[in-house]
Amino acid sequence: MEVPGTRGRLLKATAALAGIAMLAACGGGGEASAGGAGGIARDVKLKGIYDTTGPVAYAGVGASKGMQLAMEEIDEQDFLGKDVRLSLEEVDTANAIERASSEVSRAIADPEVQAIFGPVSGQQAATVAPIVEQAKVPTIFNQAGSDGVVIGDYTFRGTAPMYSYYDIAAKYLSDKGLTNVAVLYNATFPTFAEIGEKEFPKLAEEHGLTIASSYAVQSNTQDFTAQAQEIAANDPDAVVMLLIAPQSVTALTQMSQAGYEGQTVASSVQAAGNVAQAGKHAAGLVYPVDFSATQESELAVNFVEGFKEKYGKAPDQYAAEGYDSMWWLARAIKASGDSSREGIQKGLKQVASEGFEGVMGDLSFEGNDIRVKGVLVKWDGSKEQLVSE
Amino acid sequence: MQELLNTLTLGSIYLLFALGMALAWSTIGILNFAHGAIFVFSAFSAHFVSEYVAMPMPMLILISVLVGATLSALTQWLAFEQILKRSTNHRSAELRVLIGGIGVAAIPIAIVDRATASAPFGFANSTYKSEVYEFMGLRMTNTSLIVIIAGVGIAVALTLWLRASRQGLGLRAIGVDSETASLMGVNRTVMAIGTMAIAGGLAGLAGALQVFQLQAMGVATGDQLLIKAFAMIVLGGLGSMAGVILGAFVLAGAETLIFAVDLGTWVDAVSFGLIFIVLLVRPQGIFGRQEVRRT
Repeated sequence: MEVPGTRGRLLKATAALAGIAMLAACGGGGEASAGGAGGIARDVKLKGIYDTTGPVAYAGVGASKGMQLAMEEIDEQDFLGKDVRLSLEEVDTANAIERASSEVSRAIADPEVQAIFGPVSGQQAATVAPIVEQAKVPTIFNQAGSDGVVIGDYTFRGTAPMYSYYDIAAKYLSDKGLTNVAVLYNATFPTFAEIGEKEFPKLAEEHGLTIASSYAVQSNTQDFTAQAQEIAANDPDAVVMLLIAPQSVTALTQMSQAGYEGQTVASSVQAAGNVAQAGKHAAGLVYPVDFSATQESELAVNFVEGFKEKYGKAPDQYAAEGYDSMWWLARAIKASGDSSREGIQKGLKQVASEGFEGVMGDLSFEGNDIRVKGVLVKWDGSKEQLVSE
Repeated sequence: MQELLNTLTLGSIYLLFALGMALAWSTIGILNFAHGAIFVFSAFSAHFVSEYVAMPMPMLILISVLVGATLSALTQWLAFEQILKRSTNHRSAELRVLIGGIGVAAIPIAIVDRATASAPFGFANSTYKSEVYEFMGLRMTNTSLIVIIAGVGIAVALTLWLRASRQGLGLRAIGVDSETASLMGVNRTVMAIGTMAIAGGLAGLAGALQVFQLQAMGVATGDQLLIKAFAMIVLGGLGSMAGVILGAFVLAGAETLIFAVDLGTWVDAVSFGLIFIVLLVRPQGIFGRQEVRRT
């Protein structure tokens, strides 16, 4: 029946739009097809969705560089077979949770994407983890130390939680007889709150250390004069400093200016030259990391050389994590003989159950979560030196 | 006594940052939310130069001040003036200026973020060296002394200039009624750009001194101070430079006291809670006047 005038055209247009929407809904959605099961495809497409700008860009950029280097080596060695190539398309989440979420959804809907390297930010990672888990897309996260990231069979993490290797710092203090300890920590940064309030007190008890005082600050605390002067007045054997990068530079400087001359032990956040701005006030600072360019194993040395050749500077721990994660994925494909989503997922679990040697040392896993022994390094004022490996 | 010294230093840093923002808001009615970004970018510019050439403190401060003044003046000219021209009156423009400032701030912050990959930056390559002085049990650095003198000195000078000079009178007239001020021969646009240049220069000065005092700055430092500056101005009373001075030291004092009793995670809650209580009792701020006047 002919509907007259504007109302008629509007109704027809609405009907047409509804039809298109229904077609789109029928055509897509659900579990996107992952390509043929079994066998390794010639071009294994991967998606990298992480911050390369924003407050944690250093982690995303570092991981990206490590992954790119690993991919080159994997392809050059024909590790997955002749003419098999890995390709990584990267998207910057720019410190935006909603961007991470939409990009992950887009990757899931693309049947060509076989696996994802997820956000480095804990909040973003915890947001997308249920999405990839439900869509059954294997996803490896670097950094992303929050709870709610490794939640099932399809979520994996290539960065060991800081607390899992902080034991070597406690042991160092104990071995040196530095048993009277003050703790200065950022209580609004989840990783530091966990170590400062739960894990380090446990380690202290195990290693015979006494926590004489504990100072909690916020992420936006910029001046540490009060804490520095109290620490200097109490003069503990050591200070365990768990602060973000700009805070740690100020705290080290102000503790030194306040007259404190004891040992300071920090965290991997201080690595990659993040305390360089503190100059002489940071000399002697010790911190545990999951990787240091000063490591002496053959794999680590070769990695450092290759990285320097490609990028003109030494790799940081984020690059090492990205590198080992990419090799984990490549080993997974080889182990399962299948580059589909299911094949990669099965392969990742298989490799995790066996462990392997990476540039971060012997890598073991607790479920889908990596574990490393850790390395203790000392900052001499201008560069890192290995204390123990 | 040591806590008092610490309060003076911290308060002076806050004051230097807030002065520029207070000046623009109190006189030409511009609440500039790009002030924090200008603060960071100015300091970063000085850092960038210092990475190639070892420079003394005065040169680095000068670079930071000039960059801050230029950036702020350009923001006024290219962004806020255009918003004001397209608005029927100043009141209707206020929200747009606020949002415009947030938008403008994203650009210099993105540049710094990209250049530093969010790592802290400072003046490690500067020829300036901090010295520690000890006197009757009190410890102080030469940098703290410079910060206190600069903060208090500039605040007092600015307050007197606004009260006693012809330009200050012209600015205060714009704050009361810009149309009438124009009729009396005050060139609003030129004065506005000049005021923003001074505000930006103060942001640059604050940025450079903060880096010298705290040794490093992060990309987010400006935003963290922006909220505090806003609170200081409101606590002291909008339109009163003396109020800003008091607000800065009250906030610094509250924070120092809270840190001294090891309640570090409660700093913001207690500090802003105190401000809230003061405003309940005296909504116009400590030195603010009850009538709606900007000066």
